Amino acid sequence: MFGSESGYNAHAVRLGILTALTGVVCFAADYTPAAVEAGKAQFLDACAACHGTNGEGGFGPSLVDGREVRRADDEQLFKSIQQGVSGADMPPFSFPDEQIWNLVGFVRSLSAPAVESNVDGDAAAGEALFFGAGGCVGCHRIRGRGGLLGPDLSVIGSSRRIDQILEALLDPNARITAGFAAATLDGNVRAVVKNHTNFSAQVLDSSGRLHLLRGDELERLRFEGESWMPRDVATRLEDHLVRDLVAFLSRQAAR
Amino acid sequence: MRLLLCALVLSAAAIGQIDEAAILEGAGDDWLTYSGDYASLRHSSLDQINRENVGSLVTKWVYHVPGARRLETTPLVYDGVMYLTNTNELHALDAGTGRRIWTYVAEAPRRAQNRGAALWGDAVFFLAADCHLVKLDRLTGALIWTREFASYEEGYYTSLAPLIVKGQVLVGTAGGGTGQRGFVAALSTDTGEELWRFWTVPAEGEPGSETWGGFPSKWGGAPTWTTGSYDPELNLIYWPTGNPWPDFYGGRRRGDNLYSNSVLALDADTGEMKWYFQFTPHDTHDWDANEQLVLVDREYNGEMRKLMLHADRNGFYYLLDRETGEYLQATRFVERLDWATGIDESGRPIEVPGLEPTPAGVKVCPSVRGATNWMSPSINPEIGLLYVVTLEMCDIYTGSAKEPVPSSGFRGGGSQQIPSEPGQFYLRALDSLSGEIRWEYKMTGPATMWAGTVSTAGGLVFTGDDDGALVALDARTGEALWHFSMGNTLYASPMTFTADGKQYVTIATANDVFTFGLFSD
Ligand code: HEC
Ligand code: HEC
Repeated sequence: MFGSESGYNAHAVRLGILTALTGVVCFAADYTPAAVEAGKAQFLDACAACHGTNGEGGFGPSLVDGREVRRADDEQLFKSIQQGVSGADMPPFSFPDEQIWNLVGFVRSLSAPAVESNVDGDAAAGEALFFGAGGCVGCHRIRGRGGLLGPDLSVIGSSRRIDQILEALLDPNARITAGFAAATLDGNVRAVVKNHTNFSAQVLDSSGRLHLLRGDELERLRFEGESWMPRDVATRLEDHLVRDLVAFLSRQAAR
Repeated sequence: MRLLLCALVLSAAAIGQIDEAAILEGAGDDWLTYSGDYASLRHSSLDQINRENVGSLVTKWVYHVPGARRLETTPLVYDGVMYLTNTNELHALDAGTGRRIWTYVAEAPRRAQNRGAALWGDAVFFLAADCHLVKLDRLTGALIWTREFASYEEGYYTSLAPLIVKGQVLVGTAGGGTGQRGFVAALSTDTGEELWRFWTVPAEGEPGSETWGGFPSKWGGAPTWTTGSYDPELNLIYWPTGNPWPDFYGGRRRGDNLYSNSVLALDADTGEMKWYFQFTPHDTHDWDANEQLVLVDREYNGEMRKLMLHADRNGFYYLLDRETGEYLQATRFVERLDWATGIDESGRPIEVPGLEPTPAGVKVCPSVRGATNWMSPSINPEIGLLYVVTLEMCDIYTGSAKEPVPSSGFRGGGSQQIPSEPGQFYLRALDSLSGEIRWEYKMTGPATMWAGTVSTAGGLVFTGDDDGALVALDARTGEALWHFSMGNTLYASPMTFTADGKQYVTIATANDVFTFGLFSD
């Protein structure tokens, strides 16, 4: 079964192969892979305690989907690391400049958008697959066209790294995008829960109706635990087709 | 089963019908456009909250907007969902609980304040600061398209809530402070394609260009940074314009500088100008005329007239005939006003000489922030009072006679406050016909706020105050009936709506959105 040890490992291996195949470049253009690797090692020593070993945050904020990081230029990141963030809990670091630049390179790589990387797949074939036999468009929208149960993918190329897109395809339950927990309404209507507390829930069903549930109405909702994203993409589609999809998705950027 | 299906189909069809008729119904359960309706009345027909029970208003929910520094948004509400903006962001909330449904973030290279969104069909529109119109699916926040209508690299940016008229999204620009020539443009709600554009500064050789003394129209300013009004019967869009550039030095732009500091009446289908009226000719005090334009039909001198009401930053309250643009009257609504002794019969200010900014500095009233500004006024049509947030203040204005360099940040001078004469905010209730001040509510605070008002059929007017409180006043007498201190500076105007059958009142502080409702257990 999916989720079992062997299943997970199979996907991990698959992810590894695909990563190699697509030549995933999670590095910012201006930094050599060696610099980014050096930065990564240093990050694990000095930064991971607060920002998490994968940069996804802990005591400190996530540097992965941080808009602040993407907006900041290299000099600003350099300064933040060297001088810390005054008034916040980001301490200064008195490393040699070169090491700080390596860190900047690694921090950049954490949020390098897919659109900036080269994916050697056939984007046109990926597009045809997405809107056709792949069945993706039934749940996902791009520029106003498509279904509702999955996230809008119009800007996925500028908001995610390539390996994040790959992971979403091959191991969809590894993380579920906020606002897309799967649920069933009234026992038979497929829906996603945009938000919920113990007192209210905001639920969008597959026919495009928004349900603003209150109090006892929450009983109409059953959480599915997993997401509606199909779990068989990895087995259903050959590697080159997955690559085509990633090539297509990585080009979906706002401007 | 078949019945159920039909019901579903029907309700699906009922979804997404935000059209002109819906907006024309005016503010009630929903609040569909920036000023509540096309006439910019900011008056709601809701009366569940009224003079008798407003004392038991309590906070129902607070929504924090992460990273916000200065929310200026007037939220919209349709069918229980609230839409509010921060710079380059649109948030959709469950209006009854304040819980987020979705957020859309535009990756824009520029930031600026943002005053709100616009609804049409099954879409919601807003403007990213770098002059991109963004169209989103109203339910999911999914991107449909973005369309650039001006270049931020040329110094343009934008901050207003767009107005949607006849399937056209009307947009305007800011950036007049660095000279960028203003315009109103109509973009198709379907495709984003630009349908027409009206430049607020005539090109060389066009009528009006003779009022610039040879100054290049490209740098005339006259930006269009607030939301206009619309009269479907006359098929006219009314849009106010800002000051000419350079703001404080007029020596290189001799003349009236049309169409700065004016209201433009534009054909709603073509953008062709039908008439204009200029409030402050040849402005050198940064007195943009971007304050709201309130449209009412009232008897005036024994005749029913289609009127336009406008309390201007220059300190005068104007009545115009909005069919023809005819000037009817103007009265001052602040005491601290010394730049003109009045307005003559043609509508032109009778200016006091010697009050142009000088290198040494000259004291002029009102201050650069104006007697009022873009903070929204509101009118109670039954009572006939117009509620205007008013600032009594003077400034020292300095002008410098340098050669203007566009896009350099040059503004030809500036202004400074007079520490011994701090500003004083009031909410003033003007008789909408005579301009007489019927009552006033004196605020406390440091004179730093930019909050406006909303009027309701419950006999109330809500105003943000200068000390971070929302205050409910008796619309007839100005008596303060209720207040709540939110502990933060206000830059936005309140609005009201219904969710789950209950009336709520909402206002944004600098970084939170507060919603109030009647206490119930
Ligand atoms: C003690 C905890 C801590 C450690 C250790 C730490 N950080 Fe941070 N860091 C933070 C916090 C907290 C913030 C958020 C600051 C704020 O509120 O703006 C932050 C912010 C940042 C930012 C964003 C700054 C910006 O411009 O907004 C970057 C980049 C960053 N850290 C990189 C690093 C790197 C690289 C290291 C290791 C050399 C590191 N941090 C070590 C706590 C930490
Ligand atoms: C039955 C509905 C459904 C179908 C069909 C579907 N998805 Fe998804 N997809 C989802 C949902 C729900 C999520 C969000 C939950 C999650 O992260 O697993 C998602 C997430 C994603 C994400 C990650 C989005 C993000 O925010 O990072 C990508 C990429 C994606 N899907 C691509 C595809 C592609 C490509 C196809 C076609 C091969 C496809 N999906 C088919 C429902 C679907």
